[in-house]
Amino acid sequence: MRRSRRKSSNSSSSSSFPYTIEEIHQKLKDIFHQSPDLNMVEYTIQQKKVAIFYITYQINKVQLNKSLLPPLLKIQQQNLDHKVILNEIPLGGGEAQDNIDKIASNLIHGSACVYVEQDEKALTYLIPELEQRSISRAENESLVFGPQISFTESLVSNLNIIRWRMDTPDLEVKKIIVGERIPTEVRVIYLKSLADDENVNTVQQRIEELKVDDVLDSSVLAQLIEDNSRSIFPQILQTELPDRLCYALKKGKVGVVLDKSPNVLIAPSTVFSFLETTEDVYMRWNMGSFARILRLTAMVLSILLTPAYVAALTFHYEVIPSSMLVSLGQSRATVPFPPILEALLLEILIELLREAGARLPTKVGQTMGIVGGIVLGQAAVKAGFTSNILIIIVALSALSSFTAPSYLMGTAIRIIRFPTIIFAGLWGLVGMLFVFGFLIIHLLRLTSIGRPYLSPIYPLTIKDFNDSIIRLPATIGNTRPLSNHPKDKKAYSEKKAKKKKDIDE
Amino acid sequence: MNQAHVKIKPNIQITAFYLFFIIHTMQIGAGIMGVPQIIYKESKNNAWISVLIAGVFLHLTIFVMVTLLKQYNNADLFAIQKDVFGKWISRFLGTFYILYVLTVTSSILLNYTEVVQVFIFPKMPSLQITFFLLFLATYAITGGFRVVVGSAYLFFFLTIWLVFSLYEPVRHVDWDHYFPLSQATPKELMLGAYKTTFSVLGLEVLLFVYPFISNKKKVPIAAHLAVLLTTILTFLVTFISIGYFSGPQLEEQIWPTLAMFKIIQFSILERFDFIAVAFWGFVILPNIILFIWLASYGAKRLYHVKQKHALYVIIILLYAFTNFFEYRFNINTITDLAANVGFYAVFIYPYFLLLIVLVKKKFTKGQGSGTK
Repeated sequence: MRRSRRKSSNSSSSSSFPYTIEEIHQKLKDIFHQSPDLNMVEYTIQQKKVAIFYITYQINKVQLNKSLLPPLLKIQQQNLDHKVILNEIPLGGGEAQDNIDKIASNLIHGSACVYVEQDEKALTYLIPELEQRSISRAENESLVFGPQISFTESLVSNLNIIRWRMDTPDLEVKKIIVGERIPTEVRVIYLKSLADDENVNTVQQRIEELKVDDVLDSSVLAQLIEDNSRSIFPQILQTELPDRLCYALKKGKVGVVLDKSPNVLIAPSTVFSFLETTEDVYMRWNMGSFARILRLTAMVLSILLTPAYVAALTFHYEVIPSSMLVSLGQSRATVPFPPILEALLLEILIELLREAGARLPTKVGQTMGIVGGIVLGQAAVKAGFTSNILIIIVALSALSSFTAPSYLMGTAIRIIRFPTIIFAGLWGLVGMLFVFGFLIIHLLRLTSIGRPYLSPIYPLTIKDFNDSIIRLPATIGNTRPLSNHPKDKKAYSEKKAKKKKDIDE
Repeated sequence: MNQAHVKIKPNIQITAFYLFFIIHTMQIGAGIMGVPQIIYKESKNNAWISVLIAGVFLHLTIFVMVTLLKQYNNADLFAIQKDVFGKWISRFLGTFYILYVLTVTSSILLNYTEVVQVFIFPKMPSLQITFFLLFLATYAITGGFRVVVGSAYLFFFLTIWLVFSLYEPVRHVDWDHYFPLSQATPKELMLGAYKTTFSVLGLEVLLFVYPFISNKKKVPIAAHLAVLLTTILTFLVTFISIGYFSGPQLEEQIWPTLAMFKIIQFSILERFDFIAVAFWGFVILPNIILFIWLASYGAKRLYHVKQKHALYVIIILLYAFTNFFEYRFNINTITDLAANVGFYAVFIYPYFLLLIVLVKKKFTKGQGSGTK
């Protein structure tokens, strides 16, 4: 206590507590740069002047008028001071303060300050009014079935949802403050009995060691704590689905929740976790496996299809079967450009459509899609700008890239296509193989929070194929992903799951 | 005796499982493209027997290497040489080994460049093809041993399916080509086996990565399996080539393995050999990565320089060196040189070294008991 008092006397150089009402008002005004939003109400209670300060839009008026003011004005006791008020007012979160800067900071965060003239301390009551949107359906990661609830921008309600979904004391939440100029609250959450300590420490340490002005969003935080910031691939998964986060936590991963951001980070992530949805889990195992393999193939196709077309038509006519060559030749007969230009033109067209669709308001965006997709495509072929077959190929690869459940991963795949097309156009199959080899080595080099990005392929953990590349029925896969190094490896007993009954027993 | 000990950080240690891929991908590379012709020249239609003889010899060599390594705790070739020959001779021998490795690497680079120029792009300069390969190798090696091993492992799976495409030539095999069975003399068979060893160099990597392996007990089985797969693949390719091509035809084919891909067709793909030759880049890429890693790691061990610096010097040297050889004659010279030196370095030297180590061990043991 003494220490803080000394500190306060240092900071406010001219004078310190006690103040007159005018003095404290002036001081607060100075701190807020004469802001018109600082309100003061003055009362006289038991012959003593009492002032209440607050920032109009930061506090809950109903609470002020119902819980704070009436009891305050009804106080009968003599010798009014902060202790009496603290005792009489039926509100939690009251704090006695003797530091004017701290009072100002509390006012910003939604406190009302009560000060009795010439008292040693002022009281602050936290009655904040937080504007937030209500919880709504997930927009970006849409699901056909399964829980539809999604996170919002408010840390409090996000934590509330997480706690509601995982009601166990095992869930550990650590608080870290990030941002030197505009501090933002971060919570690292994990299941104590599952998550690997090393993973938790790495995440925590990286966030703690950040020296930044502020963190705009959790996606920015992800970029700041990633292993390789030069790579095009996202290395930390972001999700707006609480069920997805909880599913990951139950597998021994670590979550990071940032205030003011509707996305939650999940680490360590592998390249395959960007291609899975919780829907695969909600569906039956064979359907889920199919969907996952479909997406994986789609990604590979999306990168290789258009470049293969360009390479084959520029250099390797021999590869195309003669029956196909006729129709290809016919449709390309009127095209004046080399295949590489033709492909780049169409790919850019698709990218423009996507970008325009994303920027425009929804109502206009739909029209855009129709105009772009049907009218422009038709016109391009009729005008002899591109061949029919290329339209099919480009549409197929664009469609493939949109199947990525993670928007970031889908974008990465689409962008990788461009250098691949250029290399295929310049050096044919050799160029394509170069890009492909580069990608593979690049993926091998990547790590997510120090854990290999290509796991479970490399290092090979066959047991982890379940729940990353395919899904197995519950009787077979009973381990948590070993590449997360969970403390408890078995999710349930294998013996019990495999117990078989005889016919008609 | 157990002083030679190489310390490896536990986070870059690998399991013996990956040793299989390291040894195997190192052995299969540019050599297998043309091995049937080379053996056929020596032992005619009994060439496949030569492959089997060479296979036995491979297993024997692995056995010798493992025995040699087991004499020490956790040593590699550099440490063993230092223990046996002292500082200066071992440094000379190590440098020699690095030079041999670099010669093999340039031979691989040159051969693949030529294949690309013959099959796909007659006008693509070798400057460019070697640049592509060396760039990828540098990128992988700067990622560390984990990435080097990973690329050996992943590129193995990306290319092993090419074996199944041999199904088509098998259907065209003429069984008469294999008879008479005992046409070649034992000497010719041995010569054929000797020539086979040229294309399966690379198992010497075991002598260098041994300290990196965490479960030493499984080393022999992984190494033997790797060599076994190499033998099987070489055997398959040789055996099918003999049946598929007629004798004079086979003697003319520089790359019979690749030529066999020519008849493979799919409904959406007419000339499979283009894909196969381009994909062959992935067969030799782990080769190049591992060999260059070996050379740069060796330079670090011998001269205590930074591996990064050694790597850059090696890459620049290789790039400059390989682009001097534009004519077939020169490529053959360098390949033969690599093969001949390789035979002694890989298949003779370990036996010799094991002998010395064993004798020395006995000698020091005897001395030890004598003083008691």
